[in-house]
Amino acid sequence: MKTASRILGTAFFKKGYQVQDAPRYGAERRGAPIFAYVRAAHDKIFERGIIRDPSLVVVADETLVQMPAAGVLQGICGATVMLIHSRVTADAWQNRLHLSNPLYILTPDEEEDEQIDWRSLGVKCAAAAARLCGVIPWVTFSSALREEMGGLPAAVVKETLAHARRAYDRMESDQGCVHAVPPIPTRPCATPDWVDLPFEDARTSAPAIHQAMTSEAVKTGLWRTLRPLINRDQCKGCAWICSTYCPDGAILVNAEGLPQIDYDHCKGCLVCVAQCPSHAIETATEGERNS
Amino acid sequence: MLTGNGAAAWGARLAGIDYLPAFPITPQTEIIETLARWIDSGELDARFVTLESEHSMITAAGAAAAAGVRVFSATSSQGLLYGMEMLYTVAGWRSPFVLVNVSRGLASPITLEPDHNDILAARNSGFLQLHCTTCQEVVDGVLLAYRIAEDKRVRLPVIVNLDGFYLSFTREPVDLPGTDQVARFLPPFDALNQGFRAGIPFNQAVAVLDGSTYSYFRYQAHLAALNAENVLAESADAFAELCGRRYAALEAYRCDDAEVVFVMMGSFATKAKAAVDRLRASGQPVGLLRPFMLRPFPGTAFRKALADKRGVAVIDQNLAPGLGGALYTELAAHLHGQAADTPVLVSFIGGLGGRDISQEEFCEMVNITRQAADVDQPPPPRLLYTASELRAIKKMQTIAMQQGGEQRR
Amino acid sequence: MNESCYKTFKDLPKEHLLGTGTAMCAGCGGLEALHEIYDILGEKTVFINAAGCMTLLSIYPYTPFRGSWLYTSMASAPAGAQGVRDAMDILLAKGRISEAEEMETVVLTGDGAAYGMGLSATSGAIERNLNFFYLCYDNEGYGNTGQQTSGATPHAARTATHSGMHGYPGFKKDLFAIWAAHDPCYVATVVGAEPLDLARKIEQAKSLSGPRLILALAPCPTGWDFAPQETVQIGKLAVQCGVWPLKEYRDGRVVHTQVPKIRVPVEDYLKRQGRFAHLFEPQRNETLLREIQGRIDAYWARVEQEGLLESEDG
Repeated sequence: MKTASRILGTAFFKKGYQVQDAPRYGAERRGAPIFAYVRAAHDKIFERGIIRDPSLVVVADETLVQMPAAGVLQGICGATVMLIHSRVTADAWQNRLHLSNPLYILTPDEEEDEQIDWRSLGVKCAAAAARLCGVIPWVTFSSALREEMGGLPAAVVKETLAHARRAYDRMESDQGCVHAVPPIPTRPCATPDWVDLPFEDARTSAPAIHQAMTSEAVKTGLWRTLRPLINRDQCKGCAWICSTYCPDGAILVNAEGLPQIDYDHCKGCLVCVAQCPSHAIETATEGERNS
Repeated sequence: MLTGNGAAAWGARLAGIDYLPAFPITPQTEIIETLARWIDSGELDARFVTLESEHSMITAAGAAAAAGVRVFSATSSQGLLYGMEMLYTVAGWRSPFVLVNVSRGLASPITLEPDHNDILAARNSGFLQLHCTTCQEVVDGVLLAYRIAEDKRVRLPVIVNLDGFYLSFTREPVDLPGTDQVARFLPPFDALNQGFRAGIPFNQAVAVLDGSTYSYFRYQAHLAALNAENVLAESADAFAELCGRRYAALEAYRCDDAEVVFVMMGSFATKAKAAVDRLRASGQPVGLLRPFMLRPFPGTAFRKALADKRGVAVIDQNLAPGLGGALYTELAAHLHGQAADTPVLVSFIGGLGGRDISQEEFCEMVNITRQAADVDQPPPPRLLYTASELRAIKKMQTIAMQQGGEQRR
Repeated sequence: MNESCYKTFKDLPKEHLLGTGTAMCAGCGGLEALHEIYDILGEKTVFINAAGCMTLLSIYPYTPFRGSWLYTSMASAPAGAQGVRDAMDILLAKGRISEAEEMETVVLTGDGAAYGMGLSATSGAIERNLNFFYLCYDNEGYGNTGQQTSGATPHAARTATHSGMHGYPGFKKDLFAIWAAHDPCYVATVVGAEPLDLARKIEQAKSLSGPRLILALAPCPTGWDFAPQETVQIGKLAVQCGVWPLKEYRDGRVVHTQVPKIRVPVEDYLKRQGRFAHLFEPQRNETLLREIQGRIDAYWARVEQEGLLESEDG
């Protein structure tokens, strides 16, 4: 995502725009939402941080839309264009989200039926975004890509360019649909809803949690791209090796002494698949072949 | 007769502390040695432990207070700064305990005598601050500090400051409150149902990753600190009833009809009182305003007290390179934008590293301030330093910087 | 030697006490060790945490613990444990809490703090004979900040601050030996990939009183650059090639609890991790590979000579 935003930022920069791009990490953790922001303008850019009223929101990982903590829809306005990498149609998305915003879909490549290539996904989204903005010709985009990915082996860069080109071409018919959003009016300026924060006692107002295991409300199952499936016929109920090895404790042992995967929390690390002595756990792509 | 350190130790003993995590540093070491002796002899039922640094000491103090016991500790200058990270941290835990700081000038250059750069470096940490001018105030200050820290409306740790050497090692007459008086003033430690107990999950000091949530916790600590001014006023009432001595966030000495007042903190404020008495004896209406409580900053009390004054000589025993004195800066901020007749503030910086401030200097400061009030224009801040002092350093420099001449091989 | 109640896999706890939903990476070897340990230590614990990956276990308002937790700082978690332990002892002595309410203090720290900034505080705590449990999850670098070199980084590993063709020129500090030199009550190395060995050691530590320190190798998919599902395999290989000796220090001596009969060549362990890829591509770095193997061989030769190879039953 960071590279994607930098490619887009550099591309705008090469076209003579003032640019500001920045990533925003979620807890420096793999699997947690990563945002990147790109601002491009003809005038000097003074605004910073979260983009309110973005012209374009690009969603590379569609599962994030369901996570309130990811805040994908935070700050959008009626004019915001949405681009989602998904097999689901635009109409279906608009129904799901109850939005009337212009919404475009970047469909995955045919080769990606089995597994999404995460490494090139960000760049493909950047390429699609560049096309939608309508002011970045391919030659500029590819030059920006080469610059930002310069440290990588030539073969990787070439392959990524090919992926990006396909995505860029796919958005041809929607070229130029993204525009600058009009600035927030100052007259009348909406009043911020400031409050005088009332004093609360230290038990409430110290950063402390007075409940056990509240983390279980966080559905880390949404991190998964691959899902482990226990084949009941082959599972020997060995001694719950999978349950012991699961780093997250997401495999429970039921009353019959058989393992059960907690799919709300399974992150799809597949340690269980690798370690099951009976090879009784299979892998499936998340979203397909649900058990 | 008690030294300031002895008084601090007595304050902790009377408060019935449970736990003393310690680390030695001049000029506070006598405090922990005294308490350790009492613990060994059984006169004080508390646990003593030496940590391997002040950073660890303050961690242990905050953790034990969070776990539900009454904690006392003491440090100074370099030690206070070594633990600076943890001052902010334990205040953010809302861990109530008392830390005595015996102020001492900060390196570099390293020194042993007092000024206020160390204690003032901690003024934004979330710890409340009481500043003592006499050994009596140290005992009383520690007791007041516990009551304020542990109050439900506050729950923040408190630093009680006393100057090294001029209070720490100086004996003065001290009236010790009796144990029954203290029992009526200071209730037993109330953990407010928090602490580390089996069966009661308590996850303290967890991470917060967004600005809005973080802001809430920081704002709340600020609101709690602001509450402390009222809590001091209430506690001071109770204390006065029991022991006859009255404390206030801001002490006013002979200010009623004063035209010019000194503003000063710490043990040298009594020297300012001596100057006030001499000047009044010679017919000059002068007074002294002395913050006993520095955090929260007693802004309202200052504004009221200065409303009818013409000039204020702010004497800072601290110096922020590139800015000037902290007390001056904070006072000026609180007076800004008030009624049209705000007094003229004049900034003086002296007493660094224990440098004496002479009576002549006090007199001259009054003269300058009066002149400034007459023209409604303060002069630039003055760093107190005399020609003879300059000659003295020059002489030392000829030794330190000796060039040419015979050199022994 | 006590009889362990953990003889086979079936004796391992089947109820997992640590809550799910934490922000640790998928396949985190440290989390695996932690949850195996927590299953045995139980919820009558207060975890005193030093800054590291696991600080993010508890992010307001979410926590996976059933018991208690206190985040301190990077350098002073053992001092936090001192404060909590002393306070509990005071409360017990003064009758303000009952014995049923008492809890074990457990310092939870990464290698960054344990091998470096926190070493002074750890040393002080052992020296004061603090009755506490100390768990270091060692992923051989400053993981939370992006895997920069730490005192625990092994020779030739590539990190964010040593990304050249030879990797880190220094050597992994021997923290086990440093701790053991303090003569604490108990020290042990463990790895989540060997849960029986780990369980026996935690059980042993739990039965003792005083400073008990556990060093858990934490294979790290993110920092060591391998697919998450390899975490356990890599942990097993670390033991099998002898780079992570499973041992204990107690009663004044070192005892190895699981000795590989035939040591797997260390290459098999190294080549599965991207952080050592430069030792194999574009060509093999024979010098470094021999050096690494040589140091492991020397360790086991010395251990055999000093008669430290006795292993536990089972």
